[in-house]
Amino acid sequence: MSVPLSQMWTVATYVLGQKLKGRARYPLVLMLEPLFRCNLACAGCGKIQYPAHILKRHLTVEQCLRAVEECGAPMVSIPGGEPLMYPEIGQLVKELVARKKYIYLCTNAILLKQKLEEGTFEPSTYLSFSIHMDGPRQEHDEAVCREGVYDEAVEGIKEALRRGFRVTTNTTLFEGADPLRIRQFFDEMMDLGVEGMMISPGYSYSKAPDQEHFLRRQRTHELFSTMLARAKRRWRFNQSPLFLQFLMGKQDFECTPWGNPTYNLFGWQRPCYLLQEGYASTFQELMETTTWEQYGRKSGNPKCRDCMVHCGYEATAVDHTFSSWRGFRDAVVTTVTGRL
Amino acid sequence: MVERSLEGWSPTIGGGVTLHEVVDLAFDYRGDVTIVRSDGTEVIGYVYNRNRDVPEPFLQLFDPTGASHTFRYAEVRTVRFTGRDTAAGKSYEAWLRRKTQAEESAPPA
Repeated sequence: MSVPLSQMWTVATYVLGQKLKGRARYPLVLMLEPLFRCNLACAGCGKIQYPAHILKRHLTVEQCLRAVEECGAPMVSIPGGEPLMYPEIGQLVKELVARKKYIYLCTNAILLKQKLEEGTFEPSTYLSFSIHMDGPRQEHDEAVCREGVYDEAVEGIKEALRRGFRVTTNTTLFEGADPLRIRQFFDEMMDLGVEGMMISPGYSYSKAPDQEHFLRRQRTHELFSTMLARAKRRWRFNQSPLFLQFLMGKQDFECTPWGNPTYNLFGWQRPCYLLQEGYASTFQELMETTTWEQYGRKSGNPKCRDCMVHCGYEATAVDHTFSSWRGFRDAVVTTVTGRL
Repeated sequence: MVERSLEGWSPTIGGGVTLHEVVDLAFDYRGDVTIVRSDGTEVIGYVYNRNRDVPEPFLQLFDPTGASHTFRYAEVRTVRFTGRDTAAGKSYEAWLRRKTQAEESAPPA
């Protein structure tokens, strides 16, 4: 696994601190969406279908920082929309680094080279570009509905690495993904020199145009088991090994919808990053007034039945690591041996 | 996949549909709507939030200038789906069809 030791230490002490305080529900990663605007229109994305006056709007840096303080999570993921289109992205990242937050800037990388050349960012242990790469060239370009984007992203990755930035990839896998080609893709990403990869099955957004290519739970187990069988030691994943085991069907976890709370133009999104069932005006209101028992697989909620996405289950995997000696042992063994 | 859209729908509350149901549909709709208030005045915008689990249920809307408005359900007569549904008509299959057509119409290399 490839998460830097300093980041592991920060997360471990944070989670243990929450447990010592007796907090049953705590956030792990703030999903901060400063805007919905994007320079792509991917078929699997349910995030960008809004009227023009909504797409033109964005949060202020002050609003973003207030949300970060309210939430208190040690990691901040900045998706969107395309965060490199956010006019204040350089300032926002600078402020978050100053607050020692570990940042995952989730980008399609179309604008990355340009932003790096403009000097928008400085390399930092706290900043990682998380590049959207949905598989090899053909699969990625089909997923983002535009040809040539894979090559642009690779150029962006190379430039960021050359300048000393941390670079990871994030890959959403859909129905029809070929495990062998994805294994080759892992090799390609490692050859590029990325720090680690994040993988997850897709979620069937009710507003995403493409509803027929999302994975169901059994299919997810089959795909990830095949894809990660005899995982190569050179493959590094920037996520909990227990989450990967969960995707393979080797762990049985329940969703932690409050683990990755989402803040955007509309407020604090209920109940999670994927479902939009309403908004709270403060983080405290979100945590205290959301009927959490209505979500997750065991709730019987049909919207949660097949979901295995990282934003719901990675927090569970991390919590599991620090909840029992068995969980801790499983995480350590898989991390040290590389065997999933 | 059959795509259905509420675009253009102008429901009459009580005619087989409740205000709660219409507001829920408006909240789920990815286009602007027109809020018709009890006094007949109208406000156009995007419904980004609603809460019916409070003593005075309310909805919230951004108008095109970016101003936020909050309306109690009690002061809303109906909601008309007047703006374009931005989630409609953008299927993956449509993209594949366009791509295939473009490839077929391209001159041979």
